[in-house]
Amino acid sequence: MLAPSPVPPEAVAVRDLRKRFGAAEVLRGVSLTAREGEVVAILGASGSGKSTFLRCLNLLEVPDAGEITVAGEAVRWRQRRGGRVPADRGQVDRLRARVGMVFQGFNLWSHRTVLENVIEAPVHVQGRERAECVAEAEALLAKVGIADKRHDYPAQLSGGQQQRAAIARALAMHPRVMLFDEPTSALDPERVGEVLAVMQALAEEGRTMLIVTHEVAFARDVAHRLVFLHEGRIEEDGPPAETIAAPRSDRLRQFLARCRIGVA
Amino acid sequence: MGTLALLGFGPGGWGAALLGAAATTLLLALAGFALGLVLGGLAAAGRIAGPAPLRLLATGYTTLLRGVPDLLVIYLLYFGGSAALGGIAGWFGHAGYVGVPPFWVGAVALGLISGAYQAEVFRGAYAAVDRGQIEAARAVGMHRGLILRRVTVPLVARTALPGLGNVWQILLKDSALVSVTGLVELLRQAQVGAGSTRQPFPFYLTAGALYLAITTVSNLAFARAEARARRGLP
Amino acid sequence: MIDIAFLAESLRALAAGLPLTLGLTGGAVALGLVLAGLAAAGRLSGIAVLDGLARLYVFVFRGTPLLVQLFLIYYGLGQFRPDLQALGLWWFFREPYWCALLALTLNTGAYTAEIIRGGVLAVPHGAVLAGRACGMSRGLLLRRIVLPLAARQALPAYGNEVISVVKATSLASTITLLDLTGIAQKLIAQSFRALEVFVCAGAFYLAINLAIIGLVRLAETILAPDLRRPRPV
Repeated sequence: MLAPSPVPPEAVAVRDLRKRFGAAEVLRGVSLTAREGEVVAILGASGSGKSTFLRCLNLLEVPDAGEITVAGEAVRWRQRRGGRVPADRGQVDRLRARVGMVFQGFNLWSHRTVLENVIEAPVHVQGRERAECVAEAEALLAKVGIADKRHDYPAQLSGGQQQRAAIARALAMHPRVMLFDEPTSALDPERVGEVLAVMQALAEEGRTMLIVTHEVAFARDVAHRLVFLHEGRIEEDGPPAETIAAPRSDRLRQFLARCRIGVA
Repeated sequence: MGTLALLGFGPGGWGAALLGAAATTLLLALAGFALGLVLGGLAAAGRIAGPAPLRLLATGYTTLLRGVPDLLVIYLLYFGGSAALGGIAGWFGHAGYVGVPPFWVGAVALGLISGAYQAEVFRGAYAAVDRGQIEAARAVGMHRGLILRRVTVPLVARTALPGLGNVWQILLKDSALVSVTGLVELLRQAQVGAGSTRQPFPFYLTAGALYLAITTVSNLAFARAEARARRGLP
Repeated sequence: MIDIAFLAESLRALAAGLPLTLGLTGGAVALGLVLAGLAAAGRLSGIAVLDGLARLYVFVFRGTPLLVQLFLIYYGLGQFRPDLQALGLWWFFREPYWCALLALTLNTGAYTAEIIRGGVLAVPHGAVLAGRACGMSRGLLLRRIVLPLAARQALPAYGNEVISVVKATSLASTITLLDLTGIAQKLIAQSFRALEVFVCAGAFYLAINLAIIGLVRLAETILAPDLRRPRPV
């Protein structure tokens, strides 16, 4: 490359991803590229394959076909009886360490305090200095607004606080990409805002984020791009405001109508 | 000699002997529990993640040892153990009867029995582990061994603690059965005292009281440990 | 090398102990259930004296080894032979069989009492409220709502307790009774073939346990018809 590219490099690239569970074909060829700093909101009805898609990106699910590239490194595969598997477990672990994941159910480690949750992977997976990790974890917890809870156990926190702790845990790995799998779906309605606010701040920092969500208003206001999945395929992919204001497909129109939010 | 003096610590009193025997009981139970921890952990791992033959073996072990009277297991090891040792000694040209040390017969028997129960406790605790927490560990790039060590085992241990407390109680009481091998643990010492003084009632009553004291204290200890372990668990 | 003849001979000899093992089990389970019902009622009565007595009984019998209880009753009470004779109770405490039955009953009664109490406490409060709302009397509520719900809740634990009684009957062999284990011990001491005898005696016990598990399953389908799985067609 001679001339510097005007577009930022690819953070995640996925080509023709396919996944079936038994008879059900959940992903039927999904291709998507997210560039660095891009915030992509992924919408879709339940069963559209959006969570499976996200879980394939860090190989929590192994896709049957298709290629995955994270930060320029493509996942290597090996054929095995009954399908393919990643060729190199070490590569998978390395890749996962570069991708932060935030789950619908928080999945904080219940036997460790909030601070211990945050420093666990930096210390034990990345092998970093404990003291340095603690200092950084405290800064991250302050950033998500729960510094005072650092010595509490997850069960002592509200859902919103747990999810913010889970976001801090994911950030502590210095991930290249953050994946959010319906991060507010398990929360009480009055707790949703505090988590969305943290996510918005991250987006404004220029982080690369892929967010599976039902929060259409958040997608419209914060995301750079909206992807609508339907029955395992990408049905629409465009700028959020325009796409929501004027959906091209009937399916997105029906989906938005069911979400019944103030889209105006 | 009055009953109190009989059980006291003065000359001719059996107090010191009974307390010493109670310590043997505790040691015996501890040795059995530790062995059971290893056997139970292995059997649970075999049933959860082992290949089919190992799974079958582990299932057979837990089913058999939980279904057969503990006394029968002790007899098997006591008589069978000396026969087996005699056979091995025979290969090396040593003829005649070889006795096995009763303490170790007892410890191995209690280990085998409690291991079968501990395996069930671990299996239940593993089934109760929140899969999401394991998934979160995978998602941050932990490899299998690290997940096992840092997430799965601590979570299983916490959940298993009340069940392990029950197994310990059963084991403490089962240890009295080892008295049939002649090992001078608490019950056997009471038997000896009862026989030589012809006053069985105070001796068995005292033995019972000492067992009650040990089980009560260990109950409290486990309750404290559980309260500590439950930190952070809903 | 398996000695079929010896195994067959052992099985035949052991079978003679089966009636004693089964008799002790049946007797202790039946009498223990009555005792447990009384103790559980005491604990749930809300009357401090009854609650305290039941609590003490359960604490003592669950906190000490059965073998100590058995020796205390059989050998320990033997020390008071003249008094027992004067009371006309000696015929009972002289017999190892009655002493074994008494110890087993007292022991399983304590464990079963806790199982019953747990079952009753697990009855959902709403079910009781609903019964009251339809004007059920205390007795009717107990008979029609509380006990059926408690029974199905307690059944798995109770099944395990019955199996423990089967195993516990083996302690009768320590006071000269020739139950399955008593005969097994005699055979081992005579033949020094511990493993073969163990396998034969173990087979008897496992068969008994299997039968009990079958009975518990049957009871489960009768007590919890709503949890019954539809038969595969």
